[in-house]
Parts: sequence; structure tokens; C-alpha cells
Amino acid sequence: MEENKEIQNQKCYEKYLETTHHLGRILTLLVLILLLVVPFVIGAYLSAMPNLPAAAKAFAGVGLVYLVSGIVEYLIYVPMLGTGGSYLAFITGNLINMKIPCAINARDIVGVKSGTPENEIVATLSIATSSLVTILVLALGVFLMIPLQPILQSPALQPAFENVVPALFGAMACKYYREDRVVALLVLAVMTLLYCFVPSLIGSASMMVIPSGALAIGLSYLSFRKKSKVTA
Amino acid sequence: MELLSKLNSPFLYLVCGGIVLLVAVICIVFAVRAYRMGKALGVDESKMKRVITASATFAVLPSVGILLGVIALSGSLGTPWPWLRLSVIGALHYETQVAEAASEAVGAGSLSIANMTPEAFATIALLMSFCIIWGMVLMIFNGKAYTKRLSGQTPAKKNEADGKKNKSSLSGFADTAMTAMFIGLVTAYIASYIGTIVSGNGVLSMTGNWLSLAVSVVAAIAMAVFLWIREKTKADWVDSFSVAGSMLIAMSAAVFLAGLAG
Repeated sequence: MEENKEIQNQKCYEKYLETTHHLGRILTLLVLILLLVVPFVIGAYLSAMPNLPAAAKAFAGVGLVYLVSGIVEYLIYVPMLGTGGSYLAFITGNLINMKIPCAINARDIVGVKSGTPENEIVATLSIATSSLVTILVLALGVFLMIPLQPILQSPALQPAFENVVPALFGAMACKYYREDRVVALLVLAVMTLLYCFVPSLIGSASMMVIPSGALAIGLSYLSFRKKSKVTA
Repeated sequence: MELLSKLNSPFLYLVCGGIVLLVAVICIVFAVRAYRMGKALGVDESKMKRVITASATFAVLPSVGILLGVIALSGSLGTPWPWLRLSVIGALHYETQVAEAASEAVGAGSLSIANMTPEAFATIALLMSFCIIWGMVLMIFNGKAYTKRLSGQTPAKKNEADGKKNKSSLSGFADTAMTAMFIGLVTAYIASYIGTIVSGNGVLSMTGNWLSLAVSVVAAIAMAVFLWIREKTKADWVDSFSVAGSMLIAMSAAVFLAGLAG
């Protein structure tokens, strides 16, 4: 009886994933087409079309960086976000500064393991909720833009909003460095030396996530193997 | 000025707002499906509700930061377009950089409404949309295969197939690797703040701006206090507010610290 229920749940979950892919692909494609068409619609409204050679020139300069980082983000974050969460996260954006920490925070709060159906559910709920909050805050903000603008743009408050990302990473560092202090300190030392002696890398922190993450995973693996041998 | 009023016209609000609304509906559909699936799988409903509460509180402060990005860009691109960009697919630090690059490429100089022409705006809008599509494209064409391959490599499934009994140790590394990845992500930024102080104005000059690191340190201390309260009182709800609370404290501190940093 119990076994039957488990098999039924497994089938139901597999069907859910299949439908999520189907729905995710169609809706992602729809949003993608709309986003690429809108500049032309606005162009028609303004009686001017986009300058394609200039766009290609700018893409060669700045776009290629985002091509590489887009591929890396896809490879790194899909395993964290699961199926539904990944479709939503890539549609709604703001991955590093919100969706990833939010999903991981939610996963830790309820204590689910990665790669499990619970993780899939938690990640999707977390990303959908955070995206809706952003949409709501932005819609309210845009609506209240005129009366709100003087307060939000007041020079006194600017340092607060210019430092959202350091505030986020400081809080997350405290939380995650406690998990493995040795790995955290070693990676911090290596990355700090790198930035100190090659200061041009300071402005490319989002790209430096790749070597930093690889080093952290490598060191964790060594430590994990060592611990496994001792336990065995 | 005439261009700015066109960029803030009801037509543009309608076009951009329509897409934002569509994305909101997509989020609701995915959330409802996940919640129902969770119930069917026997996931504790109180856990799912905690996820929703924690994620909603977590998202408020970063969302206000994103709203400021909309406000910052609204002076040169109008309000509807930055609203759309930052509600859908966009990222706070990405948009300004790409808009600036497109503006320079089209010959409008640095991003400003004074230099803006309709052609420049349409080009900027296209480039902002195009440069960041890769995650979506990969999900459409490769998402299914990639997630299937990942689930095939899930420790639990691997063990099942191999008939091995070391399930706990392997699934243990999946979680360790995830924590390590996040340590790496956080460290790339924290180390850059230290690097800014040490070499921001030239290698080992030690005269760079220390504000970002100071804000991170305040956030870390606040987080440590939240974690201590949680451990002492065993109050799980503290978790739901610890990150947002730490950020709020650190951002408030930034206002005072900025005066000292000069």
C-alpha cells in the first residue's frame, strides 16, 4: 500500500516536471519574443528604428561579456534552482542579487536537501514569491514615482541604496562562512591577493565568481574526501 | 524634453505594463502548480508557507534597491522602459552598463536625455533586451536535457542504480558543494571590497574606498546577532527576517559611514 503510494507520487512528480518543461519553454519563448519585439514597436511609435550596425558594435564590446556570464550562470544556477525555479529565474532576472540567495535562504530555513522533489518545490515557490514581490514593489514605486522621487533620490539616502549588494553579501558571508571556516578563509585570502595585485579585476567581481566558486568547491571536495577516509 | 514625454506616454506604460503583468501571471501559475505538487507529495504545508513568508520578506529590501535603479534610469530613458527591464529578466548592475555602451555606440555620447534621439533610444532598448537573453535561450533549447542529466547524477538516484549503501555520504557532498559554491560567490565580492581598499587607487596604495567593506562588516555583525538570538531563543521565525534585517541595519549604517568615508 505504502509502496503503491510512493510509485504513484513518483509518477505524479515526473509528470509535473514534464509539464513544467513544456509550460516553461512556451512561456519563456513568448516572453523572449515580446522583449525583442518591443524595441521595434517603440521605435515605430517614435518613428525611428534601432540602428542595427551600432547595436552590433556595442554588442561586440559589452555584449560578449554577458554572453559568457549568461552561459556560466545557466550552468551554475540551474542545479541550485531546479526546473520550475530556473525557468522563472531566467525570465525574471536579478539572479545574483536576489533570486539565488533567496532560494538558498528558503531551502536552509525549511531544511531540504538539494536534488530532491522538496527542493524543486521550495525553489519554485521561493523564486515565484520573490519575483512577485519585486513586480509589486516596482509597480507601486512607479505608480508613486512622483511623490516618492524626492525622498528616494535625496542625496542623504543614496549611500544606503548604493550599498544594497555589500549589505546582502556581508549578511550571507556571516551565514555561510560559519559552515566551513577553513575553506572560506583560504578562498578569501587567495581572492584578496588576486584583487590586490591585479586591481583591474576589481570591477569584474561577477566574472570572478567562476574561479572563486571553483576554488571553494575544489577545497571542499578535498576536505570532504579527507573526512570520508577518516570516517571509513 | 518632447522625447522624454513620449517615453513616459500612456502607450509605453501600456506596452511595458502588459508584459510585466504577463510575467506576474507566469509567476502565479508556477507558484500554484508547485504548491499543489508539494501538497500531493506530502510536503508539510507549514514549511511551504514559511518559504513563501521568508522569500517575500527577503525580497522587499532588494526590490527597493531595484526600484532605485528604475528611478536612476528614468531620467534618461523615461519610466516605463526601465520598469519593464528591471521587472523582467534585467539585473540592477547590468542595465546601466549596457545602456551606456549602446548610447556611446550609436553616437549619443554618455547616457543622458539631453543627447537622446529616438533612434538612439530604440537601439539602446534593443541592446538591453538582446545582451541578457542567454539564460532564457539555453533554458528553451537545453533546459530539459540539462536538468534531466543533473537529476540522473543526483546522488540518491546514482546510489539506487549502483545498489550502493553510501547514500548519505554522497548526498552529503551535494550539499557541501552547494555551500562551497555560495562561499565562492560571496567571497568574490567581499574580497573585491578588500581589494578596493588596498589597491583601488593603485597597487598596494592602501587609499581606496572602504565604505563597501564597512557596510558588509556591519551586515555580518547584524547577521551574527540574529543567528545568536535564534540559537538562544530557538525562535525559527527569526530566520525569515535575519537577512533582510541585517541588510536594513547595514544600509542605514551606510548613510552615517558615507559621511566619514568622504
